[in-house]
Amino acid sequence: MRAVKIVERVLATIPIMIGVAILVFLFMRFTPGDPVDLMMGKDGNVSAQEVATLRAQFNLDEPIYVQLFDYLHKASQGDLGLSFKKNRPVIELVKEALPATVELSLVAVVISLFIAIPIGVYSAVKQNSLIDRASMGISFLGVSMPAFWLGIVLILIFSVKLGISPAQGRIDYGVGLDKVTGFYLLDSILTGNFQAFKSTLSHLLLPAITLGATLAAIVTRVVRSSMLEVLRQDYIVMARAKGMSEFKVVVKHALRNALIPTVTVVGLEIGVLLGGNMIVETVFGWPGLGRIAVEAIFNRDYPLVQGVVMFYAIVFVMANLIVDILYTYINPKISI
Amino acid sequence: MLQVKDLTMVYETDRGKVKAVNGVNFSIGHGEVLGLVGESGCGKSATLLTLLGLVPYPGKITSGEILFNGEDLRKKSPTEMRNIRGKDIAMIFQDPMTALNPVFKVGEQIRETLRIHGLMQEQKGSWWSRRKKQNHNERERVMELMKEVGIPSPDERFFEYPHQFSGGMQQRVVIAIALACSAQLLLADEPTTALDVTIQAQILELLNKINRERETAIIMVTHNLGMAAEFCQKIAVMYAGEIVEQGPTDAVLENPKHPYTQGLLQSIPRISERKQRIEPIPGSVPDLATLDETCAFYPRCGKRTKACLLKKYNLEDLGEGHSAKCALYS
Repeated sequence: MRAVKIVERVLATIPIMIGVAILVFLFMRFTPGDPVDLMMGKDGNVSAQEVATLRAQFNLDEPIYVQLFDYLHKASQGDLGLSFKKNRPVIELVKEALPATVELSLVAVVISLFIAIPIGVYSAVKQNSLIDRASMGISFLGVSMPAFWLGIVLILIFSVKLGISPAQGRIDYGVGLDKVTGFYLLDSILTGNFQAFKSTLSHLLLPAITLGATLAAIVTRVVRSSMLEVLRQDYIVMARAKGMSEFKVVVKHALRNALIPTVTVVGLEIGVLLGGNMIVETVFGWPGLGRIAVEAIFNRDYPLVQGVVMFYAIVFVMANLIVDILYTYINPKISI
Repeated sequence: MLQVKDLTMVYETDRGKVKAVNGVNFSIGHGEVLGLVGESGCGKSATLLTLLGLVPYPGKITSGEILFNGEDLRKKSPTEMRNIRGKDIAMIFQDPMTALNPVFKVGEQIRETLRIHGLMQEQKGSWWSRRKKQNHNERERVMELMKEVGIPSPDERFFEYPHQFSGGMQQRVVIAIALACSAQLLLADEPTTALDVTIQAQILELLNKINRERETAIIMVTHNLGMAAEFCQKIAVMYAGEIVEQGPTDAVLENPKHPYTQGLLQSIPRISERKQRIEPIPGSVPDLATLDETCAFYPRCGKRTKACLLKKYNLEDLGEGHSAKCALYS
């Protein structure tokens, strides 16, 4: 039953993807700035003939609706076109960059949840204690700090002053790592390459912290407030009246309930996280989708922007689907 | 079995000390049913939680003894108290909708009590087989309990969640949890208030059966005097954290001594006397933070005299176990 519903939901993403493709296609065309102009650098030495040839080569001389149908037709066959700038298939470029982005995002989410949930629970249990006030203050800071600023500060402290952590890239030069999945942490474990693992981790930490800071701050506050709410409930007194230890009361009976609103918030924040990706990847020179997207937008590299945004959309929809499925496990009152 | 002596529990608030439970004395023997009656907010539920050592924050027990089978529960360590809670003294809550955890299966919530107190543990065999046997025993026991409290087809309902149960069935689950370890004493905090009248009768009948068959002592908090009359052998009337009158049910209800008890009885509508006027007690329960040592009922009392304000009165024995705390009888 659940499986059928999940398949239904996956199929329902198809119209969403078509909608995304059309919107991105149109908005890119309506954005001021022309790819051919940018390529030629508005140079007086380029003849009108050459520009026209280039336009024809990229199919840009056709009416927009023809271009759109052409694009959708090819996309349905898995061909997202060639990048104007790099002259390589968009699919290939996305495939190269996707693991870097997914790895960064996952590590960011995992780190922030591992920090945020215990602190949120502790703050609620010891409400108004020194630790509670301190963590709420820090999380307030975390919510209000923009990622690009936090990234630069972290680079300044840990890379420039202390020299502990590298500021750019995914791995040190000269560390040979056989690529199996494209996820460097996983690859280095699979190939038993400890040096590569260390190098990857040290590259990963700063951007992951930068990316996860806002999420951690928000989750801490949500966990704390929902724990405070849950701890007042009768079933908590009931659990105590059964003779259960306080630790189990908090972790088993209270946290399970407090996670319900938390999962909702995490699901919503995934969209924000993907947006933050572009900034963090640019600041840390992270060779992922976000950086490609930023470059492609500046170059008016239409096919590449379209391809990358499509993948963002897929990741976003899938992440929300996972949250919805998770939700049915956490909250028995809800089914998909 | 349980003797409470001079128990006082105080909430330390910004506005000063609030005596939620004020010098309470009562006792209950094996198989007895004691009714704790009074208006809302007069410390009945707080008394029950205090007995279990679950004083709600920011409350503190400041004096008194809670003797359970001769041992003072106040002197027990937190771990020892945990072993008593749920096993020797169990509690039934007012509203079953909120007393059951919405995210766990009903059967699991009953099983949990057995697991906490290690009741179905196996001694023989490897760790794995012991574990399996224990799981099996626990499940069997839970099914038995569910059958005993009148939940039909327990093998299916074991796996359902609380929201799939009706209010009456949920209260049966709460009672099954309380019965799981064969507690000697049940603390029932208005167990029928949140239920329909017909379901109320069923739940009362169930509690009655448990009391008869298992000889479980029950302390029943209620504001329903009719229910108390039918169900309890002894009644203690509470007002503003104090017991103002107690004694055998018949004596207290047929010959009430304290003006508050008399007022309570007059405010019950009766079917047999159609034209009788209901006479409510004027005013409401006072703010406990502003009370002094004299009678808390004085402002609302129809029989007040100058003597009331002179000193603090104690429960006076009026014979046959009946006693009242009032200037009229001192």
